[in-house]
Amino acid sequence: MKHISLAHGNGGYYMRQLIENLFVKYLHNPLLKIDTDAACLPPLEGELMMSVDGFTVHPLEFPGGNIGSLAIHGTVNDLAVSGAVAKYLSLSLIIEEGFEIECLDRIVRAMADAANDAGVAIVCGDTKVVARGEASGLYISTTGIGIKQASANLSIHNIAKGDVLLVSGPVGDHGSAIMLAREQFGLRGDLQSDAASVLPLCQALYDQPGLHFMRDPTRGGLATVLNEITRATGLGVRVYEENIPLRDEVSGICDILGYDPLYLACEGRIVIVVARAGADDLLQVLKQVAPQAVIIGEIIQQPSRVILQTVTGGERVLEELEDEPLPRIC
Amino acid sequence: MTSRAKQWLEQIHQLPLTKKIRIMNVCGGHERTISHAGLRSVLPETIELIPGPGCPVCVCPEEDIYTAIQLALNEPVTLVTFGDMLRVPVNVPHAEIRTMEQARAAGADIRAIASPTEAVKLAHDMPYRQLVFFAAGFETTMAPVAAMVAEGLPDNLLLLNAGRLTWPAVAMLLASESAGFDALIAPGHVSAVMGSEQWQFVVDQYSIATAVAGFTADSLLAALYSTLRQLLDGRLFLDNAYPEVVTPGGNVTAKKLLHEVFDIDNANWRGIGEIPASGYALKSQFDLHNARKQFALINDASRKHAGTMPAGCDCARVVLGKIYPNQCKLYGLSCKPRQPVGPCMVSDEGACRIWWANGVREQAKIA
Repeated sequence: MKHISLAHGNGGYYMRQLIENLFVKYLHNPLLKIDTDAACLPPLEGELMMSVDGFTVHPLEFPGGNIGSLAIHGTVNDLAVSGAVAKYLSLSLIIEEGFEIECLDRIVRAMADAANDAGVAIVCGDTKVVARGEASGLYISTTGIGIKQASANLSIHNIAKGDVLLVSGPVGDHGSAIMLAREQFGLRGDLQSDAASVLPLCQALYDQPGLHFMRDPTRGGLATVLNEITRATGLGVRVYEENIPLRDEVSGICDILGYDPLYLACEGRIVIVVARAGADDLLQVLKQVAPQAVIIGEIIQQPSRVILQTVTGGERVLEELEDEPLPRIC
Repeated sequence: MTSRAKQWLEQIHQLPLTKKIRIMNVCGGHERTISHAGLRSVLPETIELIPGPGCPVCVCPEEDIYTAIQLALNEPVTLVTFGDMLRVPVNVPHAEIRTMEQARAAGADIRAIASPTEAVKLAHDMPYRQLVFFAAGFETTMAPVAAMVAEGLPDNLLLLNAGRLTWPAVAMLLASESAGFDALIAPGHVSAVMGSEQWQFVVDQYSIATAVAGFTADSLLAALYSTLRQLLDGRLFLDNAYPEVVTPGGNVTAKKLLHEVFDIDNANWRGIGEIPASGYALKSQFDLHNARKQFALINDASRKHAGTMPAGCDCARVVLGKIYPNQCKLYGLSCKPRQPVGPCMVSDEGACRIWWANGVREQAKIA
């Protein structure tokens, strides 16, 4: 069979085939058992952290990754920026009838590679097949459990006036690569998504003095993380457009379509807030794992808004997104 | 790029500007760049940048949006529309369906697209369904629409056409008693299609300094500098600060297609009224694809305020550059992106929406 049928979700022969020939083949590890309803995990040392995320990216495959690698990185990254190293993941897939098995194979393989890289084990899973038209290809959800690193005491509420903001690399790559991959606008390009595990970056920083907060700027991009900071703390943010790293391809695509790259998703970057005294040291450490990391701004007392100082020396406020940004029509 | 913008800015600051100079732009993309780059805060105080008629969604006739909503609700069709049209309210009582978004929630099949060619793709994907593409836009949108029509539309795709030409609106402003501006920044994309020559009349007939600009701060500052120099030197001409894309004659193929597919008609602009020779109308040979000809249209012209801006809304004066967005008494109070009253607060091309999205929250004191 070349395509997923409803029989692949009925609990019988085809479903067992799919699980054995695909999921177990690629994701196998000592804790993943196909004949139990729940995984039994050995005890873990320390405080645990847990996170869940759903993945509905379209198209499912794009330059630099696919929904499978994204589903692993997404949850590993949410734990990493919160100060935890992911150990175990659960995996749930909703597949539309008619889905190409070859494509599913590539996606599961990408998951396996991403999980190996991040040192995380997929310990339980579930698949459901829905009738054609009831889903758009494939949805994935992952839940992760990680161990909180003793040295990492990260919270948005640690942020204080005078703190320094950094970003680990160019912003907007993922959002732009997805737009190109949709081929909706007749644009072509070689841009790759930045989709990757940020765990190595975070691990390099956990011990840094003055580290207050980290977040991965996914949906809504850099500007949205900065708005989350002002909303949670009541403080303001000032960032300098000149310092924010941006690829030429990304600014080109945004110029044409009328998007603001500061609101486009990244999937392999982190935003860091650190006490001013620790900023230079932290930047040096970060540069060893993320050479394009830079300081982009600082936390100010007032106003409680995100202010961008533009390259011409002007100012504009980066507001919270209102609704889905759309390309211009003229 | 960065250093170029700074150089232009320095050069502008070195100009001996003494009296107020008002410069109008007529493209939502320009207004976005101006707001994004924070240009108003770094230019000399004597320069006023005025957003003019540059938002196709804002001037799209209310009765056409009403018709689109009624078609989607009452006929067995799929309505295809540009996304930022979805939330533009029409003038009906609050209890009735006022936007395409509400019509969609009520069960109408309405699809949002970003580019006209998606309408053709959708029509091919749904061969047994009739589709109506609500084609609203300026020359830049209508050129690809013309190409689609000329190439041959799928049998099941109809157009509810509301295309408009940019220059007649500028001509109307200039012909009025109080044009309200000394210089014009001409739209880059429109000029790429129609040619920069199209704006020559602004210089020749109305003695307005004019320059075509692209969509970067660089290009806009270069165009601003050009118009300021023209005014200071008393030597007016049509300049082009977007030469990499815009030529005097424009895109010959696109213009030919527009000519083959559309007649030019007098057309209604929301809140402004009829502007002579400002609308694209499908030629009669395409009647089979013209929704206006194929459906007994459901525009109830006896509706209260049919065709106008919503009551109390000053979008019309914002579109004409008579007032700034935050001089409308609804701005930021009863009219916000989440509950827009007028179309200028809905579209990403609308001046009110652009100002709001870039942090302008306060009402302006009206002098």
